[in-house]
Amino acid sequence: MKLFQRTIRDLHQMLLDREISSVELTESVLGHIDAVGEKTKAYLLVTRELALRQAKDADDRLRAKRDVKPLTGIPIALKDVLCVKDVVSTAGSKILRGFTPPYSATVVDRLESEGAVFLGKTNCDEFAMGSSNENSGYWPVHNPWGLDRVPGGSSGGSAAAVASGEAIAALGSDTGGSIRQPAALTGTVGMKPTYGRVSRYGLIAFASSLDQIGPMTRDVGDAALLLQSLAGHDARDSTSSTRPVPDYLATLRKGVKGMRLGVPKEYFVTGMEPAVEQAINDAIRLLEQQGARIEEVSLPHSDVALPAYYIIAPAEASSNLARYDGVRYGYQAEGAKNLIEEYMLTRQQGFGAEVKRRIMLGTYALSSGYYDAYYLQAQKVRTLIIEDFTRAFEKVDALLGATSPTVAFRLGAKTQDPVAMYLNDIITIPANLGNVCGISVPCGLADGLPIGLQVIAPGFREEIALQVAYAFEAAADFRKLQSPLMRAAA
Amino acid sequence: MRAFEAVTATRYEVVVGLEVHAQVLTQSKMFCGCSTDYLVAPANANTCPVCLGLPGSLPVINRRAVEATIRTALALNCEIPAFSKFDRKNYFYPDLPKGYQISQYDLPFSRHGHLDFDVNGEGRRCGITRVHLEEDTGKLQHEGAIEQAQSSLVNFNRAGVPLMEIVSEPDLRSADEAREYVMRLRAILQYIGVNNGDMESGQLRCDANVSLRPVGRTEFGTKVEVKNMNSFRAIHRAIEYEIVRQTEVLDAGGRLVQETRGWNDARGLTVSQRTKEFAEDYRYFPEPDLPPLEVSREWVAEIGSTLPELPAARRERLMANFGLSPYDASVLTSSKPMAEYFEEMVRLGAPAKAAANWILGDFSRFLNADHKEIQDASVKPAHLQQLIALIDSGVISGKMAKQTFEAMYRAPDPGPALTAAKGSSQISGDAELAGIVDQVIAENEKSVTDFKAGKEQALKFLIGQGMKLSKGRANPQRLEALLREKIS
Amino acid sequence: MPEPESELSSREVEHVARLARLGISQDEVVRYRDQLRHILTAINALKRTDTSTVPATAHPLEERNVMREDRSEPCLPAEAALKNAPSREDSYFKVKAIQE
Ligand SMILES: [Mg+2]
Ligand SMILES: [Zn+2]
Repeated sequence: MKLFQRTIRDLHQMLLDREISSVELTESVLGHIDAVGEKTKAYLLVTRELALRQAKDADDRLRAKRDVKPLTGIPIALKDVLCVKDVVSTAGSKILRGFTPPYSATVVDRLESEGAVFLGKTNCDEFAMGSSNENSGYWPVHNPWGLDRVPGGSSGGSAAAVASGEAIAALGSDTGGSIRQPAALTGTVGMKPTYGRVSRYGLIAFASSLDQIGPMTRDVGDAALLLQSLAGHDARDSTSSTRPVPDYLATLRKGVKGMRLGVPKEYFVTGMEPAVEQAINDAIRLLEQQGARIEEVSLPHSDVALPAYYIIAPAEASSNLARYDGVRYGYQAEGAKNLIEEYMLTRQQGFGAEVKRRIMLGTYALSSGYYDAYYLQAQKVRTLIIEDFTRAFEKVDALLGATSPTVAFRLGAKTQDPVAMYLNDIITIPANLGNVCGISVPCGLADGLPIGLQVIAPGFREEIALQVAYAFEAAADFRKLQSPLMRAAA
Repeated sequence: MRAFEAVTATRYEVVVGLEVHAQVLTQSKMFCGCSTDYLVAPANANTCPVCLGLPGSLPVINRRAVEATIRTALALNCEIPAFSKFDRKNYFYPDLPKGYQISQYDLPFSRHGHLDFDVNGEGRRCGITRVHLEEDTGKLQHEGAIEQAQSSLVNFNRAGVPLMEIVSEPDLRSADEAREYVMRLRAILQYIGVNNGDMESGQLRCDANVSLRPVGRTEFGTKVEVKNMNSFRAIHRAIEYEIVRQTEVLDAGGRLVQETRGWNDARGLTVSQRTKEFAEDYRYFPEPDLPPLEVSREWVAEIGSTLPELPAARRERLMANFGLSPYDASVLTSSKPMAEYFEEMVRLGAPAKAAANWILGDFSRFLNADHKEIQDASVKPAHLQQLIALIDSGVISGKMAKQTFEAMYRAPDPGPALTAAKGSSQISGDAELAGIVDQVIAENEKSVTDFKAGKEQALKFLIGQGMKLSKGRANPQRLEALLREKIS
Repeated sequence: MPEPESELSSREVEHVARLARLGISQDEVVRYRDQLRHILTAINALKRTDTSTVPATAHPLEERNVMREDRSEPCLPAEAALKNAPSREDSYFKVKAIQE
């Protein structure tokens, strides 16, 4: 087994035992990026020198046994929406081409202080707006399970990198499913923590009341481990919670015996592929065999989650993206007569079609005369969705459903129809609006393409979602599944 | 254009409402740790990811700015709602880093207050609609007028400085009232230590909404917003100008357009900036990056307990304790340093009326001419008090005192000029002093005999009497010498 | 309550684009109008939901009164602040003529 195929926990042990060095490990991953990077296009930027420098420092720490942390020496990929000091950070947008932030995101600082190794910036839909990675301002990402397929989005680059062996783990961001859906489509594990659990400082904003950073990994254990170092209060993010962070690994192996798991009937949406539905039902049965009590529950407002999301997120985005005017940083259009014309041209040429579509939708929803009908109404619907979850979690400990109604679709299949594209997130969006946490874990293949089981737990109960996902993973053995690009190397 | 006087006796009623923006005196900016002393710093040196609006940065509320706003609201008799929040005001301008200003829309920190002031001794009350908190913008610099400039330079040092917006009701009925309102408001902001009152550097800014309506009509006329007036005088002139301009338009049967006009102090007129037929749409919505605030009654009480004596109260006290006229008391209390200067003089023994006259007379004239504040003058309360004492004891004439004061004011150290004034009229000649000495001896036999009996104290008393007779002009050393030789 | 998706006009699209400072060509106006109409129709269920007695959720968290003390901290070096500027003069950002 090659180093780049292993989990954080294996590699951490090997590093501790001095069986391998971080430089060897990092070179192994960088080598595989060289081998398959052109196929997946997962990275927008590979920070080779930085990675090797950090790997050397990590080896010093390991040799000196000086504050060695679980992530010391582990090569990790960062979604391009995360600011890294003096490293180009573009959120997958041409409007930020060449932008090098003078500061790093809080999560980046935390990983750095643990001695993690940064492989580079992963590709994503422009400003995290998309479900297929085809909205990247640079190039689409190809799914390691089938290069003619999308990896999902918006964290498609991070997902593809972990699935193909181009990273041991990665950070993604999830506003309406952007971690969980690509994880499902690439056979990896992806978790969206509760809003407020992980600091957003330094995360290039899409929708401020929904965005959340989370781990994308090979297995649930690694997700718990990575979340452990991301989670916690940050004085620079006024919306980050002061609640204490539990020990996620301590409860991981508790199993599901006696647990009450709810299955929302609304999550078996029309248009769900039979193979996906089959796999989810099998997964539920497996958990039942592990001793969980399965109950059908109802989240009656699930059908208006998507509409509410497509008002709230674009509205906030229309404001968050106003700063891209070509004055202080980023792209500035040529040949404008005056400033207003320069604004119009800069934003016309700098933003892609989907971003412009959402800026217009959001601007419209906030504009006078429509605010109450759209934005305010959507916020009220959000309250109803929160109440749906509150009621459901009075009866059950966690919820089960598919992550995505379909497996990875072909590149270009939905690019002409925005609404069809939006439907990809129909089962992931409620968790963002409802302010709960969710994780996607592989639960099978359909025609060689991965399917994801979504486990949703109450707000700030990530340990429950992890515990259920871990129990499933242990029982169903899909962990051994490796993408062709990863297997080829073995 | 006709003179103001020509149109003041008009059939129109003047309606003015004021929007005052006051920078809050804090160490750090509204939402980041950057220093607020932007006037001295090199361009863009007082900036960080937050106040530059860099991607990914997030705001954190400055507690002191919030408390200063509530403090101000209390001083303006406002209600303080128990729940408040920040909102985004969306618009594009190169001095606005994020493409939105973090401000307060429907739930400001305060509303429904009032401010009492007076116009030539007559009491007035103006309603306060609201006091809310927001962030200041950066500063633009350009060659000549903005309309002509080919390009502008942007400095974000000021961006993010905490800014209070104090909105008045349209209760003001003349340029005089508007000016007095701002003077009183400025005084209050200084008294409670939330703003330095500096209008020229823009740390206190005022916009006026001016409209006219036929006397007796209740609905408002078309309002014009007048901007960039950076002195009391400018506020007064600009509003008078607008009254004349609007009166002429209406008299000529014309219609006024709702627009923003800028005051040009040099040319003494207002210039149209942009007409509002295409009304701005700011798309306000709750700032998702900032959780709302619950303003507990305990917190409000705590802030209220730290409020000092306000101008209105001080004015009443000065009138009651020192018998000052309402006018003098108002002007003296319109600036905290001035009021303190006055009270210090009285504490040192100066007669109140004389102290007030001096401060409000030549002294203020000189200060205004030099754009100086009284606390910056070299003449301190003790100096002026001594000068007044010299006049009262007849040592110098009023005319001479005026010259002396100017000399004192101009000098970095007023001391010498003051001493010179005393000295200039001193009697040292033995011939003149002889007469005084004889008179003292004649009128104080008892003390004379006591002194002969060896009581040194008695001599001191006799010298005092001599000084008195000479109205303090006798040279004390010579006087003592002559008394000694005469008696012994 | 207006029924925008049925009547979203090219003029509204142009107005919104200007509010958002997005330059769009004439055929883009038509394309965006049709796409936005399509989206607004798809999310119409939103307006059919009865929310008459429901409060709006603007802030998902229970956090309140999150504030910092008034302490000034080091700023960025002016060079770091300006290094990404597309146009600058000395240590100022430079912008084109502002007249609208
Ligand atoms: Mg304002
Ligand atoms: Zn700052």
